[in-house]
This record gives sequence, structure tokens and C-alpha cells, in this order.
Amino acid sequence: MQFNIDLDRLQKSYRIIQAEIHPDKFVSASQIEKNQSLIKSTEVNDAYQTLKNPIKRARYLIKINLKSEENNSTLPPSFLMQQMEWEEHLESISEQKSELEKFRLLINGEYQKNLSNLESVCDTDKNWDGAMEILNEIQFIDKLNYKIIQQINLIETK
Amino acid sequence: MALLQISEPGKSTMPHEHRLAVGIDLGTTNSLIASVVSGAVSILEQGNKERLLPSVVHYSSSNPIVGSEAKNLQIKDPKNTISSVKRLIGKNLSDIDTKFYSLDLKDDDGVIGIQTDKGIKNPIEVSSDILKKLKETAEESLGNELYGAVITVPAYFDDAQRQATKDSAKLAGINVLRLINEPTAAAVAYGLDQNKEGNFVIFDLGGGTFDVSILNLSKGIFEVQATHGDANLGGDDYDQVIFEWLCKSNKINVTNSKIKQKLFALSREIKEALTNKDSIKINETIDKKINIQCELSQQEFEEITKKLTKKTISSTLQALRDAELSVSQIQGVVMVGGSTRMPCIQNAVKEFFKQPLLNNLNPDEVVALGAAQQANILAGNTNDNLLLLDVIPLSLGVETMGDIVERIIPRNSTLPVSMGQEFTTYKDGQTAMIIHVVQGERDLVRDCRSLAKFTLKGIPPLVAGAAKILVTFQVDADGLLSVSAKEQSTGIQSKIEVKPSYGLSDDKVKKMLEDSFNLASEDKESRALSEIKIEGSQLLEMIKNAIYEDSDLLKEKELNLLQETLNELKKSLESSDRNNIEELTKKLNDDSQSFAAKRMDRSIQKALTGKSLNSLEF
Repeated sequence: MQFNIDLDRLQKSYRIIQAEIHPDKFVSASQIEKNQSLIKSTEVNDAYQTLKNPIKRARYLIKINLKSEENNSTLPPSFLMQQMEWEEHLESISEQKSELEKFRLLINGEYQKNLSNLESVCDTDKNWDGAMEILNEIQFIDKLNYKIIQQINLIETK
Repeated sequence: MALLQISEPGKSTMPHEHRLAVGIDLGTTNSLIASVVSGAVSILEQGNKERLLPSVVHYSSSNPIVGSEAKNLQIKDPKNTISSVKRLIGKNLSDIDTKFYSLDLKDDDGVIGIQTDKGIKNPIEVSSDILKKLKETAEESLGNELYGAVITVPAYFDDAQRQATKDSAKLAGINVLRLINEPTAAAVAYGLDQNKEGNFVIFDLGGGTFDVSILNLSKGIFEVQATHGDANLGGDDYDQVIFEWLCKSNKINVTNSKIKQKLFALSREIKEALTNKDSIKINETIDKKINIQCELSQQEFEEITKKLTKKTISSTLQALRDAELSVSQIQGVVMVGGSTRMPCIQNAVKEFFKQPLLNNLNPDEVVALGAAQQANILAGNTNDNLLLLDVIPLSLGVETMGDIVERIIPRNSTLPVSMGQEFTTYKDGQTAMIIHVVQGERDLVRDCRSLAKFTLKGIPPLVAGAAKILVTFQVDADGLLSVSAKEQSTGIQSKIEVKPSYGLSDDKVKKMLEDSFNLASEDKESRALSEIKIEGSQLLEMIKNAIYEDSDLLKEKELNLLQETLNELKKSLESSDRNNIEELTKKLNDDSQSFAAKRMDRSIQKALTGKSLNSLEF
């Protein structure tokens, strides 16, 4: 399996399978079929989410290739500095919606950059330790993005 | 002419009979019931030819009075007349602002109790009386016993509110085929009607709730991308603003609940009149002392309710962000719910999406119509290819040290979904622990909604931190949560006791059910026997068919074992030995689990190979 996958085909396969096994197809069936449908349909949703989301997909790929879930890599000091800078920036603009939107664009750019790095490290170099390092960075970026969105939502609901 | 029904080879030995399945929109203000009759979906009229049943129940005589008749008694007898009960369901007293109710509300063992002349009623009972009335309507107008119903709930309803809704259906004796979200039901009505494709926004402003959902429609698949909303925002709030405006501009201080009711009714009339008028003059005598004289223009109404409208738009924006879509990627905006008739809402939504709105179906009826279409499909009455993939609207999490929420299932996860989380003990020899499940997006427990406390018992006594308990949170296709737990090193299944923070415990629901049947003990026994017989023979039939189709999935030994149990059960079903039938049904059930799983895998394989020949086209 590769990091770069055909998302369109993934979605189609997912929908074909759910159309077959979703609990809605077993509403009048026996309890045992209902249970199985719930179990399988849940598994398929999980598999789909794992493959669809690039972070989850990378984590899964690393897990099966490194054959270990241990995360031994540490973030490089330069990234740690960057992290702190970003966190401070978020703090300082937490009440300004337009600044938050701008910051979100910047973070999104970082996310995309890391994603294409991840692709070459996984699919070309097959360097799983390297992939783990990028994954750690991209996870931080993703969380930061979530925090920014939450902050924007909070301002809007006020 | 009656059509001959011929079953698909190998599918079922019995021809399929048409099952009476309905869709129910259990609304804050009004409820509706619809069904597919000879291929066409329509609203079932009440006895008085009305299409909408006011969601109002009056308790003073021996039987509850439901609908218009109850609504007419609201001003005369506000204390015994319950409306907008949907705002109270799945909640407790501290959640609501009692000053907005002219009812005598009290705490009744964790749920809200409403004191009436006929005793204390809880919201589940009141909803169930509305559902009973709708069930009667269906059975009378279609002349058949009801097989099952799809009941709609606001997408933004949390677990407690969903559970309470399902309980009230159970109490009304209705087989719930599925709880579906109101916006999704509306999408079904539009999608099936017009064969639409692409990303659609369903903007649903009802009497008491607001939902916005974003769906991707493609060839009969409705995949919800994101949902957002406010379970406490609706047309009633616009009435409330007018009510406050009336009081302020006429300098009235209302304390009397009858006068309050009258003013509320007047406020609603004003709001409705403003739907197609630029301005309205009010000259109304409320009682001897109070006479109201003023004028409200469309513009002023828009101004005083601006805050409410803004809330709906910001929810919409958040849903778009969650779906990672922009306004330009939206192919259509569907307006649902009577309150979307307000020009101020229409204008705000139109302006936000910069496109004309889809409102050619009656906004009051579209949810019930969609639910009826889904009910017809779930009951197996049609071969229409339709699948709804809905999401959980609010994240589920557990309380950890320091009042912090650890998120377990994030919002907008497609249903059904399950996640496991490992917990460990805090003290040496600890044999029990409490898991507090909350729902919401905030980081602190006190800012989220508490759903239930699960007490895990039977943890093997080990040193602190040695026991590893895997707790699995499963949310099913109705959006309902169940929790199971297992100690990992010993494999011991922990016993779980659930104490719901809101709503009723399973035992209490069971008791209410029993009370409602009020059966003699021998009736109960014969009822139980016939229930287990039906379950047993259904299972028998299913396994027989399964063996006929897929016996190659079984090893000879497994096959023999199944056949043996099958024969025993068959014999037992002819007897009246309830315990024996129950035992054998359970055995057959357990023995065939892995067979059922293998069959499910095979059907997936078949579907994928079948479709890949056509390059994965539907």
C-alpha cells in the first residue's frame, strides 16, 4: 500500500460496501445479522476514515511498516522553537477574527508542505523513521489548525 | 389489479407483504405523519382533516386530549395543557429557564416532572401520547396494523434527547425502524424528488430547534459531511422577542400565566402576519386593564431579532468549515421548517449563499415526507437504492483528572462508529471505577453535557496501573451510545451499571412499559412465549437460508453442529417450553456468529468484484 492513493476510488468502494452491509439494510433481519451488520459497518467506517485522512493514513502506514507503535522520534529543536512561536502568536491574536483567518491560511500552507514531504518519504524513500518525524510535525500543525478554528467559532457564537 | 409478488431466487421463501411503515416528524409545535401509499408519498390527515397535529396534550379527563382540541384549551387551562414538550425531553430542571413556562415544573428523579390534575407527567409520557395519537391516525386511515416508523429528531439532539425520543416511541407501542435526523429526512424528500447530485445545505429552523446539515448526494447515497445547530433556537424564540417587545412598548408587567399565554399567542400571530406584510397594526384588548396598541414593521422586526438570525448564520458557517467546503461549492440550499417562512431568514440565507433557495416543497411537511420514504425503504417495501450515511453531531468524551474532557469520538464521525479507550486503576486492589461520559466540544467537563456515569465492576484486584480496561464506546445507526468494557490481561468482562444523568434508566422505562400494558400475569406469560417463538423461528429461517446459500463457508463439523441445534430448536418451537426455546435460540445465535460474519465478508467481496467490472460505477 502507498501513501498516495486514489481518493475517488476509495470513496466509491466505501459506498459500494456500505450499500451492502449498513444496518439500514438489516432493519427487519434477525438479531444476529443486525449485530454483524453493526460490527462490519463500524469497521468499514473506521477503515474509510483511516484511509481518507492523510494523517491517519500515514500513522497506519508507519505502524504496519515499522511494526511498532512506539514513537521514539523527537521533534527537532528548530520545530520546537517554531511551535512556541506559533502558540504565542495564536495567544496574541485570539480575539481578532481576521488575524485568525490569516493565520489559518499560513498554517494550512505548512500543512500542505508537510503533506507532500510525507508522500515522498513514504512512497519514494520508504524511510519510515523519517515519516514518523514529519507525522509528529504535521499532527502538531493539525491540532493548531483545530485550535484556530475553535477560536474563530467561539468569536462567531459570541 | 393486484400485482403478483415473486421473490428473488434464494432470497426469501416467503413473498414480501406490504408493511405499513410511516415517517413521523415529532415537532416542537406541530407533528406530522406520512406514508408511502401505492408508490406515492403523502401526509396522512388527522380525523378532523388537518394535516398538522399540534404537539399539545391536555390532561384533565381520564384520557389525554391531543392536538387542536388541546391547543384550544391552552389559554383556558394553561396548567394542564402541555405544549413544546420537545424542549424538555432528555433534560433536567436545571437545563431550562422555568420562567418561560406556564407549567408547574418540578424535578422528578432526574427528569422533568409536569404537575397536572392527572398527576405528574414526564416529557417522555407526553411525547408518547402525541405518538399514540399519530399511530391511531395511521392505522385508521390505512386500515392496517402499523409495522414500524422512522421518527425524526433534530440533527443537533444529543444522546439523552435521542434516547428519550426512542423511549417515548416504545411507550406508545411503536416499532422504531430508525431515528433519523430532520435535515437528512428533508434531503431525502428533495433528493428523491428531483434526482439531485452534489453538495447541499439543509437549513432547518423549526418551532424550537435549529439545524444545519451539509450533505453530499450521489446516486442514491446521502453522505452527511457535517452538521451544526442549536437545540434551543426556533420560531418560539422569535415569538419571545415580540412578546418582550410588546411588554416593553406597552409598559406591561406580566405575572398572570393566562395573560402570558394570550400575549404569546398574539406574538405568534404578529410574526405570522409579518410573513407577507410590510407592517402590522396591533389593537388588542387582553383583559379589562390591558389594551395593546402599537405597530410593528418588517424592518423593526428584523432589527429586534437580528441576534437570533445571526446565530443561525454563524452555525451555518461552522458547518461549512467542518465540511471543508466553501459557499461556491454548494449546489443547492434547501429550506425546511415553518420558521424559514420569515422573510428575514430567507433574506439572510439567500445573501449568505448568494443563490436562490430551494423551497418548492412545503417546509412544514418535507421532513415527514422524507421520513416516510425512508421508512418504506427500511421496511423492505421497495427496491429503491438509497442509503443514508449520517454523523454524530457532538463529540463524545470522558472525564479525566482535573475536570478535563478526553475526546473519544469526534463530532461529524460517520455512524455507526466505535472507539476503544484503555483505562487503568489508580489504587492497589481497586475493583471498580466510574467512567463519566460527556458530550460537547468544550475542554472542561462542566461546559459539556453529562450523559451518564458508568460504574465498572468486577475488575480483578491488581497493583495500581496493572489492570488494563478497554472500554468500547459504540454509537449505532440511530446515534445512540452503548458502552462495554473488558479487562485486557484477564479477558474478564466488566459489569456495567449505567446511571443516566438525564432521562430515565432502563429499569424505569421497562416499568413504565409494563404499567402501560397493565396485563394480567398469565397474559404477560403468553405474550413472552409468543415473542420468543417469533424470535426463534425467525432465526431458524435465517440460518436455514444461510446454510442453503453458503454452506461451503462452514467446516463439516461446524455444519453438523449447526444442523443439530437447528433441529433441536425446530422441535422445541412446537412446544410451549419458554425456557427451552429461549436457551436453544441463544445457543443457535452464539453458534452461528462466525458463520454470519463470514457471510457478511462474502457479500462485501461479491459487491466489490461485481462493481469493479464496471469500473466502480453505480
